[in-house]
Parts: sequence; structure tokens; C-alpha cells
Amino acid sequence: MNDLRETLIRNRTRLIVLAVLAFLFISATQGMETDEWMITVLRGLAVGAVTFLVASGLSLILGLMDVLNLAHGEMFMIGAYVGWTIYVRPDTFVDVIPPLALLSVGLALAPLWRFLVARVSVSDRLARLWPWLVLVGAVAVLYLTFARFPIARWDPGVYTESPISYSLALSQGLLTPPAAPGFEGISPLAAMIGTVVGGMLLGLALAGFSARRGLTATARLPGRALAIAGLLLVVGAAVYWTNTPLTEWLFDLNTTYRFFLAMAVATLVGLILGALVEITMIRPLYARPIYQLMITLGLSFIGIEVVRAVWGRPEFTVPKPALFGGSGEGCPAEGLAALLENQCSTVLLFGSRVRTYNEIFIILVGLVVLVAVWLLLQRTRIGMIIRAGVQDREMVEALGINVRRVFTFVFALGVALAALGGILAAPSMGLSPSMGTQLLLLALIALAIGGLTSFPGAAAGAVLVGLLQQFIIKYGQIGIDLPFLAEPFKPSPPLVPASTVLLMVIILLILPQGLFGRAEH
Amino acid sequence: MTNLLEAHSLHTFIGQFHILEGVDLEVPEGSITVLLGRNGAGKTTTLKTLLGLTPPRRGKVLFAGQEIQGRQSFDIASMGIGFVPEHRAIFRDLTVEENLKIAERRKGDFGRKADLIFGLFPDLKRLIHLSGANLSGGQQQMLSVARALVPDNRLLLIDEPSEGLAPVIIEQMMKAIRELSAETTVLLVEQNFLVASQLAERYVIIEEGQSVKQGLMADLAGDKATIHRYLGAA
Repeated sequence: MNDLRETLIRNRTRLIVLAVLAFLFISATQGMETDEWMITVLRGLAVGAVTFLVASGLSLILGLMDVLNLAHGEMFMIGAYVGWTIYVRPDTFVDVIPPLALLSVGLALAPLWRFLVARVSVSDRLARLWPWLVLVGAVAVLYLTFARFPIARWDPGVYTESPISYSLALSQGLLTPPAAPGFEGISPLAAMIGTVVGGMLLGLALAGFSARRGLTATARLPGRALAIAGLLLVVGAAVYWTNTPLTEWLFDLNTTYRFFLAMAVATLVGLILGALVEITMIRPLYARPIYQLMITLGLSFIGIEVVRAVWGRPEFTVPKPALFGGSGEGCPAEGLAALLENQCSTVLLFGSRVRTYNEIFIILVGLVVLVAVWLLLQRTRIGMIIRAGVQDREMVEALGINVRRVFTFVFALGVALAALGGILAAPSMGLSPSMGTQLLLLALIALAIGGLTSFPGAAAGAVLVGLLQQFIIKYGQIGIDLPFLAEPFKPSPPLVPASTVLLMVIILLILPQGLFGRAEH
Repeated sequence: MTNLLEAHSLHTFIGQFHILEGVDLEVPEGSITVLLGRNGAGKTTTLKTLLGLTPPRRGKVLFAGQEIQGRQSFDIASMGIGFVPEHRAIFRDLTVEENLKIAERRKGDFGRKADLIFGLFPDLKRLIHLSGANLSGGQQQMLSVARALVPDNRLLLIDEPSEGLAPVIIEQMMKAIRELSAETTVLLVEQNFLVASQLAERYVIIEEGQSVKQGLMADLAGDKATIHRYLGAA
């Protein structure tokens, strides 16, 4: 009893703020019809879910390793574009796998190269020189082989070949596999062997550089690296030789399944991208946080330019998967059974139409991720280490735990969540090179509101930002009756982003550490 | 008696500050050794340097005959060194049970050690599901020592176990440290000379980043001049 009272007293400011927010929410709903505000709430939750997917990773990374990943929005964008590729152009996806997998064979063998380098002693001058020579050799070999793998591609410069047209074709059910290009001037086997050799040379050169930096090699020959390399080799070769049937199978696949595949692959790509970025760029700079910040900022610009170069500047849409695209007989669906049977794009709720993808599916995925990450944090050993590390990294390390490895995992997980958010948002938001920057801003505001490093705070902040934004948009259409004004007040579109910033400012003035944050000490 | 831990002329910098300017010490296996010295002499930094949290720029650290300076601290800790830091470093977002379980190096460590831990600190059993944020100072100190006992550590580094605690709790703490020293070696930092002299068999005095004197506690207790010179009035 006493405990409860104490908790209430200690958190009184927070409780008052939450009560005021609840009051504002209720009064905001009073200005609308029931069905209108229900839909607005659903839309707000959907925006909140997407924002949450970006904000949660951002807050985990910030909390555990004090890195503010400014490229997080671009990771979201890359997830969306990669997902589009698997969804709309699976042939490109299939073409890209063999060269990348074969190249990675040599890189996956990194421990082996370090093992070898540590066992061969050469003169200091030679030790300084040979990695460069090997690197030049690797680039030459890769230029002759890796770069010549035929990859079916769209062409953003030609309208009929552009991503816009392919998206349109898919939405009209007219998408057919374009002609597959073949090798030119090199036999497939030579290209594949050359790529593996080039990757190995590259790995050897990198091992040579790191040996000079004084990184110690493992004493044993690592069996796991060999297994991974073998797996990559098998995957690369298998996908190459089954290219045509695999492509056809993917094109024949129901768009629903293909979209789920796109979500899975986008998440996986995010996982790999995040791990690579952490290991190669963030990890060497933990002693220099400002440089880390600058690197992530630079990465975000690079990300935007890569997307512009590969997919083109114009915006384009992503058709909704079949499960959420139906509009024929029995639509809008009444009830869940009718919805699943007719695969309607809309469903009747509270007497009005609700879009199943934009306003239901996105929220569901957000909830699933919320619960999954929460379980990971609360119920697993790695989650325990993350929660402990957010507070005191040094002590976690003093317990004998390799925190650096946990850093890589968390960074990869955060980027994977953002990438998942990207492909999830794509069918409702569309794709554009600026989508990441917009969402990063929203996510940062959500983080500041929720309390920077608090996971529940990220969720609450994201939902608040989403709701506020959607209510302002809705009131921009119908107007608010305010006292002393003859006409209803209609918030103009520029007020939408301004309102979220204003909310952040007000909350931070009252609660400097955010809704769920801990006071700094 | 062989030395479980030896340090030879350790020099440690924090930023541009030269904190340790030559620390030598030996900790014989099975003993309780205490680091004495005034505030700011470098006692805490010595513990952190041994563990690699503030790695030494020069000097050698030998643990069980192996050189460990320059290794990552998680590597050093997993060789069998437990650390109880000055401010206890209890994880607030973790329950008492999780605070103990996170220290496991092999699965089931906590289960194996539960009887030992709850024998030393019966209070912890009652608090097991409480969050670390809700513990009193004494309870935090008990938990911090208990956490270092979960894995099979051969050496415990304990920083200021009596700081800020009520006399009753200090008694309990001393009893616990004496009991656990039957199984592990202990290197202790302790400001309270009374506590130190009752616990430790050996001492090392640190003054301005240098180890200036070491030997048997029994000899120091009678040497009023040394005590006065290095530790102030005691």
C-alpha cells in the first residue's frame, strides 16, 4: 500500500502529463462522428506502428552503445526498395544471389586468413606491401569475373523499363518475366570460380591489413567459418543452376506469398547490412563518438544516392498483395470470415470502410514486433545482457561477457526492424528516395517524447506522434469548432509536422527525460 | 604459498592523467590482501587496471602464471576473476535473480551456487523477485558480492565493501568475506582501517599512484608511524 503511494508520488508529473494527453485525446474524438474518429485512430496507430519499427531499433542502439544512427531512416528506405525488388522483380533478386554468395565465400573465411597470416612471418617492408598487391589482384580478378555476372535490371531512364511501369504491370496482373540475360565473353564456370578466388584474395588482403593493426588471430582453425563458407558456396552454385525454374516459380507465386517473402528477405538484408556497418565502420570508432555520428550521417547520404542511381529518382507505388487487394463481389467484407474468403481491400467496421492493409495489417505487424522484441528483451539471456548494458557496459564486461558481440547483434537487429518497417510501409506510403529522412525525423521525435533509450517509451512516443499527426490531418479536412471563432478552424498541412515537434517541446519542458526515460545522473 | 596474482610496475593513464606511476603487488593464493591508502591514491584504478577496464600502458600483470595485461576485460574476467565495484553497479532494470543469473559463465552456475550465496546472505532469498532499483545500499552490496560468487572465480576484487553501510551490515559483510575467503583469494580496497585490519592477512599501501609498502597485516597493526604517515590518523 505504502509502495503504491510512493510510486504515485514519485511519478506525479508523469501521471499528470498522461492524464492531460488522455483528456486531449478524448476531446479530440468529441469533434467527430464515431466512425470518423475510429478510422483516424486506426490510421494514427498505423503511422505509429511504422514509426515504432524505426524508433525501436534507434532507441536500442542509442541505449546500449550511445550511437545515434542517423542512417537509420535510410536503412528503412533500403528495406523498402529491396523488398520492392523481390516483390516486383524476383528475377533480379535471383540473378543477384549467386555472385554475392560466391564473393562472400572468401570473406566468410576471414578467420582462416588471419590464422594463415599469423603463421607466416615476413620482413616488415614486405608485410606492409603484400596486402596492397593482393588487394590490386583481387580487384582485377573481380572486375573480370564478378562484374560480368548477368543481372536482369530495370532502367529508370526509360519509362517502359522503369520501376514505375513494372509496379503498374504487377498491379494490373500483367507482369511477365522479362528476358533473362546471359554471360558475355566469359564462361559461367570461369566467372564463378573467378569470383570465389577474387573473394578469397580480398579476404586475404583484409587479413593482411588487420594483422598490421595488431589484431590477434585465433589459435585454432575455426570450423564454423569453414561451414559458413561451404554453405555460401553451395547456395551460390545451386541458385545459379536453378536460376530459370526458380525465377518462373517466383513469378507464378501468389503475390501474397511473394510479399511475405519480400518482407523476410528485406529483414534479412537489414540484418546483414547492420552487422556489416557495425563491424566495419562503427566498431573502430567507439572511442570517438563524434566520428561515429558523422559516419552515420555520411552513410545516409550515400544510401539516398545509391537508391537514386539504382531505382531512379521518381516516386513509385508498390501494389498491395492479393490478400489485401480484392474489390469484387462481397467487398467491403462484413466480418473476418468474409474478409478472408473474398480477400477484400476494405472491411466494414463501425459502419464505415477500413482499408485492410493500411489500417489493420500494418498495426498487426507492429504489435507482433512489439511483443517479439519485448519477449527477447525480458525472457532471453541476450535480452538480459542488453538491459544491463544499457545501464552499465563496463560492469557487464567485468562479468566476463563480450559486450562487443552484443553490440553487433543489437545494431543488426535495429537495422533489420527498420528494413522490415520500410517494406511494410511501402504499399501504403509508396517509394521515394526521401522516405527515409521523413521517417527518421518522426522516429527521433517519438524517441525524444518516449525517453530516448526506453523501449516502451519508443512505442508510446511513436503511437502519440502517429495519432497527433492523423488527428491534425483529419481536422484539416473537417475543421474544429473553437470558441470566439466564427468559422471552424482548419489546420493547414504545414501544421502537421509542426504539431509533432510542438508536442515534443511541451513534453520535454515538463518531463526533460521524456515520458518513460530515466533521469540522467 | 604461490602468488595467484602479481603486478609489476604498472603505469596507467586516464585521458592525459598519469594515475598509476608504478604499482607492484602480489596476492598469494588463498589470502585476503588489502589495498590501503588515502582517497585518490589510485586504489580503485589499481583494481580496474588489473581487470583491464583501464588497461595499463606499461607493466605486467600475471594471473595464475599467465600474462594478462593488454587483454580485453571480458577475457580477463572469464579466466576466473570476480569484480565488486565501488558503487556496486547493480543493474536496476534487472531483478535480483537476473542480476545473479547474468553473471553465469556456464549454464546452471547460479543453481550450483545458490546454497552458498543464500547461506552467506539469507536476505537475498527473500528479495529474489525484487527489481534492482528497489534495494537498499546494504542489500545492493550483498547482491554485488553475491554476483561475483556465481561463477567459479579464483580471485575476487572487492572495492570498498563497507562504504556507506550501517555497522550491523558491515559486520555481516566482514563475516561473509571471511567465509568466502576459505574458497577464493580476495583482493580488497578498504578505507576503514579497523575493518581492513580485522579481515586481511596482507596489505599493500598505495600513495600517489605508487605502491610504497607491503607486508603482513600483523606487522602493520603495531607500526603506528607507518599508519600515521600513509593513512592519516587511524
